[in-house]
Amino acid sequence: MYVVRPVEIADIAALEALAAVTMPGVHTLPKTREKIAASVERSIASFAAHVDIPSEESYLFVLESLLDKSIAGTAAIFASAGSNGTYFSFRNDVIQQVSRDLNISHSVHALTLCSELTAYSQLSGFFVRNMDQAGLEAALLSRARLLFAVLAPHRFGDRFFVPLAGITDGDGQSPFWDALGRKFFQMDFLDAEKVIGGARNRTLIVELMPHYPVYVPLLPGDAQAAMGQIHPSGELAFNLLTEEGFEADDYIDIFDGGPILQAHKNSLRSFTGSLTRRAVLGAAPSRTGLKVNYAIASGAERNFRAVTFSCDALEAQDTVGLPAELLEALAVSSGDSVICVRI
Amino acid sequence: MLVVRAINAHDLNALYDLASQVGTGMTTLKPDMKMLGDRLEIACASFAETIPVPQRDYMFVMEDTDTGRLAGVCAIKGAVGLEEPFYNYRIGTLVHSSRELDVFTRMETLYLSNDLTGSTELCSLFLHPDYRSGNNGKLLSKSRFLFIAQFPQLFTEKLIAEMRGYQAPDGSSPFYEGLGRHFFKMDFHHVDDLTSLGKKSFIAELMPRQPMYVAYLPDEAQEVIGKVHLSTAPARRLLEQEGLHFEGYVDIFDAGPVLQARVSELRAMRDSMPAVLSEAEQAGDDAADTEPYLVSNTDLQDFRMIVTNAYPHGGKLALSDDELQLLRCHHGDTVRTLSLNPRKNPHA
Repeated sequence: MYVVRPVEIADIAALEALAAVTMPGVHTLPKTREKIAASVERSIASFAAHVDIPSEESYLFVLESLLDKSIAGTAAIFASAGSNGTYFSFRNDVIQQVSRDLNISHSVHALTLCSELTAYSQLSGFFVRNMDQAGLEAALLSRARLLFAVLAPHRFGDRFFVPLAGITDGDGQSPFWDALGRKFFQMDFLDAEKVIGGARNRTLIVELMPHYPVYVPLLPGDAQAAMGQIHPSGELAFNLLTEEGFEADDYIDIFDGGPILQAHKNSLRSFTGSLTRRAVLGAAPSRTGLKVNYAIASGAERNFRAVTFSCDALEAQDTVGLPAELLEALAVSSGDSVICVRI
Repeated sequence: MLVVRAINAHDLNALYDLASQVGTGMTTLKPDMKMLGDRLEIACASFAETIPVPQRDYMFVMEDTDTGRLAGVCAIKGAVGLEEPFYNYRIGTLVHSSRELDVFTRMETLYLSNDLTGSTELCSLFLHPDYRSGNNGKLLSKSRFLFIAQFPQLFTEKLIAEMRGYQAPDGSSPFYEGLGRHFFKMDFHHVDDLTSLGKKSFIAELMPRQPMYVAYLPDEAQEVIGKVHLSTAPARRLLEQEGLHFEGYVDIFDAGPVLQARVSELRAMRDSMPAVLSEAEQAGDDAADTEPYLVSNTDLQDFRMIVTNAYPHGGKLALSDDELQLLRCHHGDTVRTLSLNPRKNPHA
């Protein structure tokens, strides 16, 4: 059993250990102790912040095992992408080429540097230990961020996006970068990611990245093939997010060409499918024998908690019966409201 | 003997035969009776000054007076791009620089432009392979400069010449394969044919409208930007001798260079001199000067030009009877003269 909760100072050592096992090429997790500590502190301040308009808050969650209290994963959400700056991405444009004289009609893809994702809320930093064997807890972790947004909508925008790492080879070279960014930055992909700190909101992006559309047919085949393709390490996240209602295809990352999934909150299952129910002590025996997996969340700010629970469908009920250990994990008492969404 | 002269209505069949020899890559001279007929009509009207100046298209043919055969053709268009848009790529520069990263990247770009609209164009130069020897090519190409020097009021200040772009041995254009094909989805020669038929609106419809970074193009395409077809290299040198130079405009299909000049800066404008035809004088100390000269008459409707070894002296020029006949001139007439080659040391 696992619980997802806001990160605490005490988690820093565990996060450091986790960062050590993350794969090269995934830049979403800070690596050094200082940076980890900084992001934890920033998260704690964000949960504590009184928010009128989503801004620079960044919320970091951990997945904790109820058995041994170990940290099995992390996930983050930024209230407003670009952090009061501009979040840059490539928009996939389709240009229709029509010549009536020649009876030609075809479309040409072009990538345009854009800032449309600015001020969307951004999911990032999703990482689960033992990604290959991860089960429900991975889905819980991914979704918990959105459940937090359901409980605290004023802290987030109406639209969300998630950049996923694009394809790199064994040496960390990105074919998309080599065809595009390298020509402007004059450096290797990983070096560029390092100097920019994985950010997509820096002025130097405007200074260096192409001002004019990049016509996709002009890119080499391997770069074209890499567009919108995820790094294998992102497959789990990709699947969870597309199930949630996120859509790919419209935007890609300016560095590695990885997909950027995005959605309005009204098309996300966490928002549309979540039910508010009263939690009561004691799991009811199944009447139908058809159990459904639920993510159940509760709590404001730093008291936010989310767990998974398997029970009969809740649509026709007012209450959800939970065992004592889950009530405790959620930090709720019998009679308190929780939100429940099918996983 | 060879004379370059204004084309006339009787030249159509011979012009067609000549055009049949051209092959691909020259959009303005295709063996198409209708096209050539129309063009000839405009050319005749141009010399007759019955159509407005910008619409004029002065065509010249090189005639072998021994056989009556046409040995070559060339033309000057009064102004391009006034009826159909005239497109080129302008090679521009964009600097992408970040102080923070200490990166300074200079990127070449291609801008689709109509910048050369209204320019006078030198075009349609073709010399029959049988005549590619001696000074024939120079005579044909440079005849136009003497014409411009004689009638500068007929032309705009901007003069251009589009040079045929580089082609691989198999006749394909690496630039087109790297760029145009993605947008036109048809063969280079097909596109070429369409442009010659005047169906140019498709360029606007199909070409990318936004500037493009050269760095995106394959190396083979980048390498040939501004490069001429191998067989065009001599023609390019001739034009450069006369004062044209490459200023960063290229053809949108094959990236052949556009050479440009200001009419007032042409060698022919500076150095050509009028001379009065006169009887031969005693051969004197000038006999050592064997530099060939271009000589033209001053008649717009029946413009004629030859290359001669006679040397203008003191505003006078003595030509042989045959030469006088080629020019249809008589003693006492004024002609225009220009040394065929630029003087190696003009200030000596």
